Amino acid sequence: MASTVFGLRKGGKRRPLMLAATLSAALVLAACGSGGGSTGGAAGAAGSPVRGGTLTFAINSDGNCLDPHQSPADVDGFFARSIVDSLVALSDDGTLSPWLAKSWTVSADQKTYSFVLRDDVTFSNGEKFDAAAVKANLDHIVAPTTKSQLAAGTIATYTGTTVIDATHAEVRFSAPNSAFLPSLATAYLGIEAPSTLKKPPADLCTKIVGSGPFISTGGYVKGKGIDYVRNDRYNWAPGNAKHTGPAHLNALSIRSIPEDSSRYGALTSGQVDAIASVPPVNVAALKRTPGFTIQTAAAPGGNYNYYPNTTRGPFTDVKVREAFRVGIDWSTIVQKLYFGVFPPARGPLSPSTVGYDKTIESSYAYDKAKANQLLDQAGWTGRDGQGYRTKDGERLTLVHPFLKEYTREQRDVVADQVQAAAKDIGIEVKTENPDYAGFLKNVIAGDYDLLDMSWQRASPDALRTLFGSAAVPKTGFATNLSRFTDPALDKIFADALNTTDLTRQAQLYGDAQQRITAAAAVFPVYVFHYVLGSSTKVQGLRFEPQAFPLFYDAWTTR
Amino acid sequence: MSIALVADGRRAGGLAVSSAGAVGLAVARRVGYAVLVLWGAVTVTFTALHLKSGSTVDVIIGQSPVSPEVRAQIISDYALDKPWLVQYFDYLGHLLRGDLGHSYNQGMDVTSAIGEQILPSFELMAAAIGLALIGSVTVAVLTAGRPRWIRSPFSLLEIVGVAVPAFWLAILLLTVFSFQLHWFPAIGANTARGLVLPAVALAAAPGATLAQILRNGLERTLDEPFVTTARSRGIGEAAVLVRHALRHALMPAITIAGWIAGALLGGAVVIENVFSRQGLGSLTVGALGRRDFPLISGVVLVAASFYVVVNLLIDAAYPLLDPRLRPDATISPTPVAGATDVTTTATTAAPTAPTATATATAATAAPAVSAPAGGGDPTPPRSPSTTDPNQEGRG
Repeated sequence: MASTVFGLRKGGKRRPLMLAATLSAALVLAACGSGGGSTGGAAGAAGSPVRGGTLTFAINSDGNCLDPHQSPADVDGFFARSIVDSLVALSDDGTLSPWLAKSWTVSADQKTYSFVLRDDVTFSNGEKFDAAAVKANLDHIVAPTTKSQLAAGTIATYTGTTVIDATHAEVRFSAPNSAFLPSLATAYLGIEAPSTLKKPPADLCTKIVGSGPFISTGGYVKGKGIDYVRNDRYNWAPGNAKHTGPAHLNALSIRSIPEDSSRYGALTSGQVDAIASVPPVNVAALKRTPGFTIQTAAAPGGNYNYYPNTTRGPFTDVKVREAFRVGIDWSTIVQKLYFGVFPPARGPLSPSTVGYDKTIESSYAYDKAKANQLLDQAGWTGRDGQGYRTKDGERLTLVHPFLKEYTREQRDVVADQVQAAAKDIGIEVKTENPDYAGFLKNVIAGDYDLLDMSWQRASPDALRTLFGSAAVPKTGFATNLSRFTDPALDKIFADALNTTDLTRQAQLYGDAQQRITAAAAVFPVYVFHYVLGSSTKVQGLRFEPQAFPLFYDAWTTR
Repeated sequence: MSIALVADGRRAGGLAVSSAGAVGLAVARRVGYAVLVLWGAVTVTFTALHLKSGSTVDVIIGQSPVSPEVRAQIISDYALDKPWLVQYFDYLGHLLRGDLGHSYNQGMDVTSAIGEQILPSFELMAAAIGLALIGSVTVAVLTAGRPRWIRSPFSLLEIVGVAVPAFWLAILLLTVFSFQLHWFPAIGANTARGLVLPAVALAAAPGATLAQILRNGLERTLDEPFVTTARSRGIGEAAVLVRHALRHALMPAITIAGWIAGALLGGAVVIENVFSRQGLGSLTVGALGRRDFPLISGVVLVAASFYVVVNLLIDAAYPLLDPRLRPDATISPTPVAGATDVTTTATTAAPTAPTATATATAATAAPAVSAPAGGGDPTPPRSPSTTDPNQEGRG
């Protein structure tokens, strides 16, 4: 889930909020939203690639478990991406390219995917890639002993793989799943060497073997990072890469530097070549510094949003929800805090998500007069001694459990400012700071009025996970935090998963965004951007659709 | 201790058996104490984590929507469905077999998770302790009893060292010595050069505190009569400071070593983060947030063992610094007949009396010495600062 790819993190390592979500159905839709969108390609990608050299890249978080089949963390998917290849590759616009699979077809009932595989691929341990390897990987992901916290969920309706021959595999599902191929393109469903999958899951947490452009023999070392060398035999780059054959870089080294100022200083003093998560406050200065450049990529999926609990208290009234949406100047709060690095969000989805509906943006404009009018209409006409609105003697109070312990990107400041802005229209927001277990308990029990979360996913199917009735938290954590249920919306989501007609899909997800906006089921805050700072010696770094940097096409000019 | 007791026994004849018994008893007491501390630490950790509200399995899963099958697998793998008492005794049982269990969130055994991080933490702490000791002793010796213009700048530095948050100091050191001057790396901290800045940042507060305590001790001691005596014998000022007064001044400093150990453990969390070092600090913070009981408990065991060892070292250091605390000076059950030396007590101490110093001369030189009360209690003298423990061998 969450958030950010490598968001700031105070204190803790196991950043709960960084579970990744990413995934899924990116659909080929004509209308790619404006605003945002990955700025793939290196800044100043002049000159031809140079072979050799080492790139040192610093990120702001630590991994949990290198095996992407197990871990939900963004950082683990990012570590694994250079080691494992996928069957297909996804581009920013939602189109798919061949990778380990040369081609594929989908059955008429949308339940069977038939792949034709490359026959020239070997894993770095010498094993041959074939249809049995595909089966071994998908079976490994769904095996309960793997305890997959993300990958298995993306293929929940998987029923099995049939190995037809070495280069032909059929993957079967119990229900239509048009989100399968985009999920398959992520590192979380990456293909590992089959013999290594027989090892205990714990072993895979430090070392994985794939067929990718880089090899890490030492594996991931906690608190330190991970080192890779080039896979010289690599000759099966994805169809959307900028070159073929082995990677340009001899070696790649990823270091964990959690402290913002340390990471930024390491870059500007030349101790690392590039860093993730340039602190927003430093972005302008780095842009002005000769020899450095900034690249950003908007993360697709849900933004960093606030969600009202539509099933209890004042927020059961759509008028109160709408008043909260238009009565707080979200845009100004965000602009002032992030210096334009993270732009204000104006819809349930990030503008970089395929299928973003730009027409709803105006509904998210600030209008204090309208907010007061709506609250009056909703019956919150009284005022108490502290200036808060009341109805039948009850104060208009909203409880906001907030995970201060894991806050990053100054979200605690956002919370404070939202609280102050709400007071301005007579609403009391009570921010509570439970510990992690207490927070999850609140979420699962529906014991809150307001929650904040960011949820990245390279597909408008993110809407289903955020507003589908199946995703309301009941027995465990789930992502429909507004607990909004609407049978018409559920039908839209099911239809979208069931159709390959792209125009139809665009129409369906557009309708969904309209319905969610009308119901005021979300208060968008900001669009998270992956902010990558690098020396200008680094060239060819580009982003994959989930806004993670890719190193295959990168080189250094030194 | 045992050598002294044997020597004691040799002289005292029949006392040998009971002395050996005393050694055995002392060792058993120490071991028992250590085991008790570790068991207590584990029990408190277990209780504290299980008293908190919310379910452990929810925290392990975190914010990833998982299938009921995966949830069930996690519950059964970590035996979270068993009653607390069963979980507790299961854990103790595994512990007795040396098995620290499997971390809920690190995807590895607790032994591996800690093993991977303990060495960098140990290096950092050892370097910081070394720096704090050497730095504080040097500063204290150089400035004690000196004119104000020498002392004042150092006093000020000490106050700053104690007052400035380690985080801020670490950032400052990084900015100046790594980012600006390029003398030390900000990353790649596994080298000796990478250890310098973190060790300085971590050593600053305890080092400054130690320096203050040492200087105060030194200055107090320099007013003592035995120092006057030493000076009157023509011993140089440097020798008086280092060989006589310093030893004395170390006593109160050693007493706060336990506090310093705690400060280092806490400070290491911050320092490791700023310098992106591997270490137990970030591992622990993460484990606490995610309620990773096996890992937290493993770290608690390591920390508790560290305290036990530190306390043992402190206990062992006292007699080294103050001979009156040595076992042969105090454990003897009764005054030995025929002992020629007169025992001194803290209250009657006559530091200048040559006979008194014999008590310090260890078992080889002097017969066992009686404790004033004739009891077996190793009670330390009330006021060690009134005698000069360093008079040994000088009598």
